Amino acid sequence: MRPLIPIAIVAALPALPFVNNYILAATVRALIFIALGQAWNIVAGIGGQLSLGHGVFLGLGCYVTGILFNELGVPPWIGVWAGVLVSLAVALVMGSMTLRMRGVFFALATVAVSLAFDQLARHYVDLTGGDNGLALKFLGNSLWAMQSRWPGPFVYAGLVFMILYYWITRIILASRFGLEMRAVRDDEIAAAAAGVRVFRTKLLGFLVSAAMTALAGGLYMQFYQAIDPESAFGLGQAIQLQLPALIGGLGTAWGPIIGGALMIVLSEATNWGATRFGFIGVDILVYGLVLLIVVLWAPQGIVGVLWKGRRR
Amino acid sequence: MSGIETALVPVGQALLSGVLVGGVYGLLSIGFSLAFGVMRIVNFAHGDLVMYGMYAGVVSATFGIDPLYAIPFSFLLMALLGAAQYQLVYRRFVGFATLQQLLAAIGLGLVLQMLAQVVFGADTRSAPSMFGGQYLLIGPLFVSAAQVMAFVVAVIATIAVEALLLGTHWGRTVRAVADDIEAAELVGLSSQFINITAFALACGLAGIAGTIMVTYYPTDPSKGLSLMPIAIIATTIGGLGSIRGSFLGGIFCGMVQQLTAMLWNSALQDVPLYVLLLFFIAYRPTGMFGFRTE
Repeated sequence: MRPLIPIAIVAALPALPFVNNYILAATVRALIFIALGQAWNIVAGIGGQLSLGHGVFLGLGCYVTGILFNELGVPPWIGVWAGVLVSLAVALVMGSMTLRMRGVFFALATVAVSLAFDQLARHYVDLTGGDNGLALKFLGNSLWAMQSRWPGPFVYAGLVFMILYYWITRIILASRFGLEMRAVRDDEIAAAAAGVRVFRTKLLGFLVSAAMTALAGGLYMQFYQAIDPESAFGLGQAIQLQLPALIGGLGTAWGPIIGGALMIVLSEATNWGATRFGFIGVDILVYGLVLLIVVLWAPQGIVGVLWKGRRR
Repeated sequence: MSGIETALVPVGQALLSGVLVGGVYGLLSIGFSLAFGVMRIVNFAHGDLVMYGMYAGVVSATFGIDPLYAIPFSFLLMALLGAAQYQLVYRRFVGFATLQQLLAAIGLGLVLQMLAQVVFGADTRSAPSMFGGQYLLIGPLFVSAAQVMAFVVAVIATIAVEALLLGTHWGRTVRAVADDIEAAELVGLSSQFINITAFALACGLAGIAGTIMVTYYPTDPSKGLSLMPIAIIATTIGGLGSIRGSFLGGIFCGMVQQLTAMLWNSALQDVPLYVLLLFFIAYRPTGMFGFRTE
């Protein structure tokens, strides 16, 4: 029952009188990055494959949804599934080319693929808006176009994503597939010797993760109303996709939720500091430091520190 | 000149510029490759050391000293910085290119990049050497003297590293540790000392690469990150861990880049490289020359 209390608090936020749009928007950002972090956690946390290119799937989810809406009037409810399909196709090509090798090659390849998409998105200006990015045509409050002037509805959409993705992660962790992924993560050779089809397991985990990222990308696009090459394919975004799981605890279902909420608090605080002290890029510095601290001193994340010795 | 020659001049020009640019790509890749080959460390912060090497050139130019003279200091400074990095961060990851190690390197790179921004500001800076603005004519082709100089330095540095690894006692111990760290310790080698010196050498090479590069290529704090893809692709194509392979891989990358810029589009000059990387990983992970079988 305990998990229901925070959910109820978040769900009640839009109705409370003292909660302004700033708090609501920050809540939505947290929920979106919890969902994105949960998706990355599948391939990296449970599967042990370091994808530095999950921005590709976020970007494809955003761009495909946005382009279909702007050019053809396809509502995001349908458009986002096209984004998911495109992401799955890209992940299939990437995964089948690189996942047979050791993890390093996969990590290096994901960097290259996101940079390739970055250059393409900047170049094909007619389709993507180039460096300036792509802004959704704004129709005002509309359920059909999934648009709203007020962040309230997005809180509920984000909550749906958070609960759904948490539930998916729990199911995967409890399943044979999840066990196989963790076996591959811990020791590929031993897993193969025990009869796990290593390549297939890695590829399947990558596909699930890519599809989840693209789907959450649809929500990202509707909330932010715009996407540009840097926030889709840049390294800064790639790290924002990883931090929730890393801070909270790799490979756990609770990790990305705790970590995502903390990351948004951290990023709001640093943005406040950046405008106050006129130091652009302080958020990147803080992300770098957090990455180092977590990896060097708390590789199990907050969940690992808090729940030491308990079943996770 | 006949028609066919006129058509070939731009191709020759692109290939020549590609080789010259590629030599420096090769130099910045061999350091990256060395750290991986010896210690299995994927140093995503390698590009940031190149960036600091570029700023070493900028600083010396502001004092009125030609950046070319700053090369030895740049090498020493980056080697020291590399040794410090190794002690603080990478020591615990030697031998396993784990997810944690890659993430630590990325975090370190971001911190180094932002420190550069605090110290040097976010503006683009350049530091032309005594060869700045001079061009040489070779038949119908012309090349920048600064790039020729950079290429020469890159070749010398690469040969020196190869000679160091193949011809000296220290080089033999490095190769022994790279082959089998436990066996090397059993015969009395200190892997700790060998690793830290090898890592310092790798970082010092990044410093040289940066300082010669800034004589013709302006820098800013994000340059380090933007050079990493080239290092990654050059080492994968040339063979991760192989010195001469990475150098040749760098030259290959430079040629592909310049040809793409000429034949297709300069804004998309790196896209074929990214595609090539995927194909190499899928079908020839030992690299073009197969110098390393792993």
